[in-house]
Amino acid sequence: MSWGVSEVGVRFGRVRALDGVSMDVADGQVTAVVGGDGSGKSTLLHVIVGLLDANVGEVRRPPPHQVGYSAAGSGIYPDLSVEENLLFSAAAYGLSPADARARAEPFLDRMDLTGARHRLGGQLSGGMRQKLGVVRAMLHRPALLVLDEPTTGIDPVSRADAWWLISLAAAEGAAVVLATTYVEEAQRAASVLLLENGRVLASGPPADIVEGLPGEVRSLSSRPPAGEAARSWRRGRSWRLWSPEREPSQVDEGEPVVPDLNDAVVVASLRRDLAEPSGAE
Amino acid sequence: MTVLARACAVSRSFGSFLAVDRVDLEVEQGEVVGLLGANGAGKTTVIRLLLGLLAPNLGEVALFGEPPSARTRRRLGYVPQGLGLYDDLTPAENLHFARSVFGTNIGGQDVVVADSRLTVGELPLGRQRQAAFTEALDHDPDLLVLDEPTSGVSPLAAARLWETIRDATDAGAGALVTTHNLEEAEQCDRLVVMAGGRVVAAGTVDHIVGRARSVVVDADEWTAAFAALQRAGIRAALVGTTLRIPSSTATVVRGALGGIGARLQEVPATLEERFLELVAPSAGGSDT
Amino acid sequence: MNSMERTRGEPAVLAMVVKELRQLKRDRRTLAMMVFLPVLLIVVFGYAASFTVTKIPTTVVGPDAPAVAAHLPPPFSLSRVLAHGTEAEAVAVLRDGDTPAAVFAARAQTRVLLDGSSLFTAQAALRSLARLEGSGHVGLRPVVQVLFNPGLKTSDVMVPGLAALILLFIGTVITSLGVVRERQSGTLEQLAVMPLRPTDVYLGKIAPYFAVGVLDMVIVVAAGVGLFGVPFAGSIALFALGAVLFLFVALGVGVLISSLSQNQGQAIQLALMVLLPQIMLSGLIFPLSSMAPGVRWIGYVLPLTYFVEIARGVMLRGAPIGALWRPLLYLALLGAVVVGLATLRFRRMLSPAHPRRRSDRTSVPKPAT
Repeated sequence: MSWGVSEVGVRFGRVRALDGVSMDVADGQVTAVVGGDGSGKSTLLHVIVGLLDANVGEVRRPPPHQVGYSAAGSGIYPDLSVEENLLFSAAAYGLSPADARARAEPFLDRMDLTGARHRLGGQLSGGMRQKLGVVRAMLHRPALLVLDEPTTGIDPVSRADAWWLISLAAAEGAAVVLATTYVEEAQRAASVLLLENGRVLASGPPADIVEGLPGEVRSLSSRPPAGEAARSWRRGRSWRLWSPEREPSQVDEGEPVVPDLNDAVVVASLRRDLAEPSGAE
Repeated sequence: MTVLARACAVSRSFGSFLAVDRVDLEVEQGEVVGLLGANGAGKTTVIRLLLGLLAPNLGEVALFGEPPSARTRRRLGYVPQGLGLYDDLTPAENLHFARSVFGTNIGGQDVVVADSRLTVGELPLGRQRQAAFTEALDHDPDLLVLDEPTSGVSPLAAARLWETIRDATDAGAGALVTTHNLEEAEQCDRLVVMAGGRVVAAGTVDHIVGRARSVVVDADEWTAAFAALQRAGIRAALVGTTLRIPSSTATVVRGALGGIGARLQEVPATLEERFLELVAPSAGGSDT
Repeated sequence: MNSMERTRGEPAVLAMVVKELRQLKRDRRTLAMMVFLPVLLIVVFGYAASFTVTKIPTTVVGPDAPAVAAHLPPPFSLSRVLAHGTEAEAVAVLRDGDTPAAVFAARAQTRVLLDGSSLFTAQAALRSLARLEGSGHVGLRPVVQVLFNPGLKTSDVMVPGLAALILLFIGTVITSLGVVRERQSGTLEQLAVMPLRPTDVYLGKIAPYFAVGVLDMVIVVAAGVGLFGVPFAGSIALFALGAVLFLFVALGVGVLISSLSQNQGQAIQLALMVLLPQIMLSGLIFPLSSMAPGVRWIGYVLPLTYFVEIARGVMLRGAPIGALWRPLLYLALLGAVVVGLATLRFRRMLSPAHPRRRSDRTSVPKPAT
């Protein structure tokens, strides 16, 4: 049996934070939940982990001591040292200090945190703190590892280190769920769930999502006509224009491009906006 | 093309620590330049030198053709990571305050912002950033300095934010963007990569990536392959169910894999992989 | 392209003022403090802050009690007559805190006994008696004796109060800061996910503050007794019982405050609004009997009032449990209510939120750089 959620809905008063969301997370794989701020990523992770009860729908998760969770913002105590942070978590999950140290040692070593083991959490750089948060969450070899934006805003070197930890967790057989705003990161997951305003816009392996993009995407070197504004967006120096059907668009400038995941995500958002005009993000 | 900002072989030390070492940097009209680097690479110091908040020990800094001063700084639009807005004021109130304090654009058109009764803190991140940009652009700056302008928002919202930036540069302004976000970096016209206080690469994305190659391993059992590479001291990154090893060759990887069944392919490196190679040569690939 | 000259428009100073006012009107807690503090101070200094005692409740004991009782001069006001009481019973009246003054009326000697632990009342009584004597009122020349703090030392009266204050401070302020810190650092969610029972977290969080509170109080009492010669006339066990009950109330309030605050700044604001009235209106500084009745009732609601009474009663007068059962009961009941509420709210912070009660765990910081 795999972990995940089925047809989950969450309502805060009149606001629908999640609506009809289903997601399966398989062991030994990384599943990325992608969306902008306010899309419902954190809410979904809270539901999976048990911090929040859904109004409707089903949640499948292992018992608490087999779940590892890193909240948005690292979840590291700023006034405890690196080692104290890990030891506290180890104690909560029933790991002896010796086991915890043995397990953490190679991680800290690879990420140049060994020298900092007595440094306070609050004195670490953002990148080091986030990495430590991931180590803390996977310390007890959870079957389900849930990470809320572990790499947002940190430098690329730390981000690569964090991804290595995530890869390692998956290699150890954990089902890893990751919330991110980076499409590039989602691209590296085995499965992606694209959320916007609490709804699933697309889901599945990244390659499938790209292939499932209806219509065609063209690249234009000058601004598309005003009438096409709702289907175009800026990319670098040029513009992208999406046409729903595979026929020559009214504008016959521009080159068709092979879409990437970024294009697919943007198009999914555009399609949603066109179908149901709502407040822009 | 007018050069809006230029740093020419600038160096700056703090005590015995050389934070910036003979750095060249230019931003011209109409272009977006991305400044990348790991933490402590000196990006922030370079920005402060350009803005005139610090004086260089060596070299020259010119802002709009003259040494930076309070006067030239008025032609800048700066959006820091924290956005520089008051969370408990609405965007309109923030703008009103900024105009009064900086003495700019008084009586300018009141910005029409949807949901204008919400304070900045109550707005979603995308609209917060939009508000910050609007404020920075309010006095028609010639040069924008932006710190991670689109971090944390969805790709569509990011594209809309870039539209605002590009509209400004299309109209003749220039933009200097510092970022950790390589997706964002790819939106820039050209990049300057710093490490240890020096510029280690500069140019377009393609130029910087050059001919760097990575190895993709498509193994029957990727966990076994991962473990084997671990033992050989090779750092691999999981992508889907394949593994990517930067800065390496198929031969080396094949050797490390031993008898594990896998198809190997050498592919062009990503900007991120090339970046890691440039700033932390020991981090990517083999670290024995 | 740019307006480098300042065009018309308000000066920057005014813009700053406007901005501050706009921000202030949205900061409800600070606004509350701005209203609350002046009101509190007006109430205190208008109606409560007085050392003047206008009425001294008196128990008259002994064979001649009825006669004396009939002619009791102001400010002494008759509270009770024990016609067949002994002198020992008169002392017990004082010790138990029934009234601050007692008259033992017997043919041979009339004794006026004053409770030195009610400092201002005793001082007022002495002044009145001196005046009465001087004015030649009543032929009787009573012997006046001040029991319990015969030297009328302020420190003897203040040290028990201090012990109470320390418990209050640590229980309320320090505890609330400690619990709110969890919220502020964004780690509350982590705790909620860990396989920890909410009870473990709750007790584990509060126990250190409980221990520190007790330790600090013991130090203060020991210092008072050892260094300043403050008496400790009564039962340590009784004192401890009162202290523990009071500490529970204080801790409960501290946890409640933290459940209503997102960060330490807010917690301090709330704690202040809870602490100040107690310091001013609990009889710690200004005697309750001096307060205008319209304000005095506030003192009777505050928990600190009751522990001050217990502390002074035990330390200065050696009052037995029979005399202090009312304050003890009040503290026990209040403690049950407050701790019960606090526990409920704390558990809610750690258990799966129901979407309707979202606010129990918010204040997750945005991902940091």
